[in-house]
Amino acid sequence: MTILPFLVITFGAGAASLLTRRNGPLSTAIGIGGLAAAVIAAGMITADDGLPMGGAELIGSAYLRLFVLFGSIVALLLAVLGLATTSHRYTPGVLLGGIGAAGLALAMPDARIAVIAATAGGLLGILVTIVPPATARGVVVAGRELRALAIAGVLAILAAAWIARPLEALAAEPAVFGLAYLGFAIAVAIRFGAIPFHFWAARLADAAPEVTLPMLMAWSPAAFAVVALAWADQSVAPLILPLGVERSLIVAVGVVSVILGSLAAWIQDDLEHVVGYTIIADAGIAILGLAALNPAAWEPARTWVIVFVMVRSAFAAWAVAVRGAFGTRRIAQLNGWVLRAPVLAVSFGLIVIAAVSWPGLVGWESRATLIDLTLDGPFLALVTAGVLMQIVVFGRLLYVGLSRPSQAVAGGLSERPLWPGSIPARPMVGRTGTERAFERTSHALRAGLDIARVVPAALRENSTLIAALLVLVLSGLSLGVASGGLGVPEAARAVPGQEPGPGPVESEPPPSESPPSEPPATATPPTETGSPSASGSPLPVGSAAPGPSASAPPSP
Amino acid sequence: MNLALAGLACVVVAGAVVAVSAREARAALLGLLVALLGASLVADPLPGPLPIAARLASAFLACRLIAVVIRDLDEPTSGSRLGWPVEALAAAAAAVIGFGTHGLGAPGEGPAEAQAAGFAVGVLAASPIVSSRDVFRLGIGAILLLLGGLLVRQGLGGTPSELEQLVTSGLVVGLGGAVGVIIAGARAAVGSLVVSDRPARDAPREGRHLRP
Repeated sequence: MTILPFLVITFGAGAASLLTRRNGPLSTAIGIGGLAAAVIAAGMITADDGLPMGGAELIGSAYLRLFVLFGSIVALLLAVLGLATTSHRYTPGVLLGGIGAAGLALAMPDARIAVIAATAGGLLGILVTIVPPATARGVVVAGRELRALAIAGVLAILAAAWIARPLEALAAEPAVFGLAYLGFAIAVAIRFGAIPFHFWAARLADAAPEVTLPMLMAWSPAAFAVVALAWADQSVAPLILPLGVERSLIVAVGVVSVILGSLAAWIQDDLEHVVGYTIIADAGIAILGLAALNPAAWEPARTWVIVFVMVRSAFAAWAVAVRGAFGTRRIAQLNGWVLRAPVLAVSFGLIVIAAVSWPGLVGWESRATLIDLTLDGPFLALVTAGVLMQIVVFGRLLYVGLSRPSQAVAGGLSERPLWPGSIPARPMVGRTGTERAFERTSHALRAGLDIARVVPAALRENSTLIAALLVLVLSGLSLGVASGGLGVPEAARAVPGQEPGPGPVESEPPPSESPPSEPPATATPPTETGSPSASGSPLPVGSAAPGPSASAPPSP
Repeated sequence: MNLALAGLACVVVAGAVVAVSAREARAALLGLLVALLGASLVADPLPGPLPIAARLASAFLACRLIAVVIRDLDEPTSGSRLGWPVEALAAAAAAVIGFGTHGLGAPGEGPAEAQAAGFAVGVLAASPIVSSRDVFRLGIGAILLLLGGLLVRQGLGGTPSELEQLVTSGLVVGLGGAVGVIIAGARAAVGSLVVSDRPARDAPREGRHLRP
C-alpha cells in the first residue's frame, strides 16, 4: 500500500505540471512541490508491501525504495538546478512522470507488465527533446528516440511473453530461451543507447535540455534494465542452458560500449556529449551484468545500476552548472574553470572519486565483479583499460580547469556570494523607552520587508553559487552511494517476492546433479527478508506444467 | 477458429493497412483508430468492461492527440511506396504465418487470431519504422509495431490482467502524445511532415512511389 502514495503523487503532479505548462510559474511550482512530495513518499515505501490491483500486484522492496528515493532527489535537485541555469517548461513534469513510471515498473513482479510501464515512461522524454523553437534536428532526434523506444519495447514485450507460460516440450530447446534472452538484452542495449545502438542517444545531448539528460539516458533505461535483470535471473539463468552465442553477443555489446564510450568521451569537445558517452560506457558494465547469467551477478549488477545512475546524474548536473556559470559547453573554452568556480571544483573531485573509485568501494567492487564474471584474458584487460580511461577524461577536464582562464571563464559568473543593494540605516529618534521599543520593532519589520523584497534578486544574482551548492549535494550523495553507504548493497542483494504465475516449472534438484563447472542452478540471492535461498525457486512459481528443470539441465 | 475473433482480427489488419497506405493523413489516422479499437477485443476470454473501456478510451485519446496537430494539414503523407495491395498481401501472408505458428512452439494461452493479427500488424509497421523520414508515418509505424507486439503477447499469454490493460492504455496514450508532439515539432520546424537533418538532396525521395 505504501507504493500507492508515491505513484499518485508522481503521476498526479506530473500530469498537473504538464497540463499547466502555459502558466510557467504555476507549472514549475506544481512540479517542484510534487518532486518534494515524491521524495517523502518514496522514503515511506516499505519492503514486501503488496498492493493487489486489477488481477496483479504491486510489491514494494528496499531496492525499489532506494531507486525511487534517489531518483526523486536527483529529479528535484535537477529541476531546481534548471531554474538556476537553463531549463524547459516540461522539465518538472517529465522528471515526475519518468521516475513514477520507473517506480511502477520496478513494483511489478510480472515482467510482461513491467516492460510496458517502463516503455511508457520512456515516451515522456520525447516531450522535452523538441525544445521550442522546434528545429529539424530536434525533430529528427525525437523521431529516432521514438523508434528506439518502440523497437526496444516490442522486443521486451515479446521476449517476456514468449517464455512466461508453460512451454511443454519447447522448454527443452535452448534456442527459445536464447532468442528471448537475446531479444530482451538487445532491448536494454537500445534503451541505454549502447554501442552500436547509440545513434539516437548520441544526438540526444544536442536536443534535450541538459537537466533532463540523466532521466532520459540513465534513470529511465536503468529501470528497464533492472526489470530485465530480474527477468533473466528468474526465467533464464536457473536453467543453465548453453547460451554461449547469445551471451557472447551481449558481452560484445557491453565491451564495445565500455571501450568506445570511454574513447568517445575522451575526444568530445562538448561537455554534454562527454556526459552522454560516459553514461553509455557505464551502461556497458550494466549490460555485462545482464550477460553474466549467474546468481553471483545479481547483487553487483543491481548495485552498479544505482551507483552509475547516481554518479552520472551528478556529472550531468556539474556540466549544467558549468554551462550556467560560463555560458559555454565547449571544453576548449573552459580554461581556468577550477579557479573561477571552487565549489564546482570540489564537486568535480567528489564525482571523480565516485566514478573511478578504488578497490574496497562498492562502486569499484560491483564493477570488477561483473567484469570478472563475464570476461577473461585480453578482453578483461581491454575493458579494465576502458574503465580506467575515464581518468583521462576527467584529467583532461581538470587540466583545462587549471589552465589560464579563457575569455568565457573570465567573463563568466562567479560563485562569490552577492547581495543586491544594502539595507538602509534607520536612526533611532525616540526619546522614551516605550517610543524606542516601538521604533525597534518597526525597524525590525521594515528590515525584514527590505530583505524579502530583494530575495528574488539575490537568488538571481547568486544563481551560480546556488547551482554549485546543488551540485555539491548531488555529488556528495553519489559518493555516498558509490562508497557503499545508504544501504544500497543490502537492498540490491535482496529479492522481492515473486508473483505466482505461469512459466517453466521449477523443481528441486539434487545438489549432486549440478554440473560442477557451472554456477549452481538453484542458488539465488537471499530474499528480501535477508534469509538466503539456497535452493529457492528462481523461476516464477506456481506452474504445474512440465518444463526444463534445473535437475536435468541440457548439457552445456 | 472463432469466427468473431477472426473477423475482429481482419478489421484490425484492415485498419493497419489503411494506416500505413493512405496518403491522406486523416484517413490513415482513422485506420489507426480502427486497429487500436479492434486490438483490445481480440482476446479470449474477453476482458472485463472496465479494461475494455480503458483501452477504447486510450485509443480515442491517442488518435485525438494526433488529430489535433494534423487538423489543418493540407499536404499528403508519404504513404506507402509499395501501395496498399502489396501491403495487404504482405499482411495476409504474415497473418497466415502467425496463425499457423500459434504459440511459437508451445500451446498458446490466447487466441491464434490475436497472434495472426499481431504478425500482420508487425509486418505492416516495419517499413515506416525502418525507412520513413515522414514523421507522421514514423509515428504510425511505432504505434503499430507496439500494437503488433501486444497482440502477439495476447496470443501467447492469454487475456491480460486488468492492471496490464490499464498500463497498456497508458502506453497507447503516451504513444499518441509523443507522436503528436513530434508532428507538431516537424510542422513548426520545417512546415512539413518530412524532416531530415541530412542534405536536402535526400528529401524528394521520400515522396517517390513505385506506382504512379
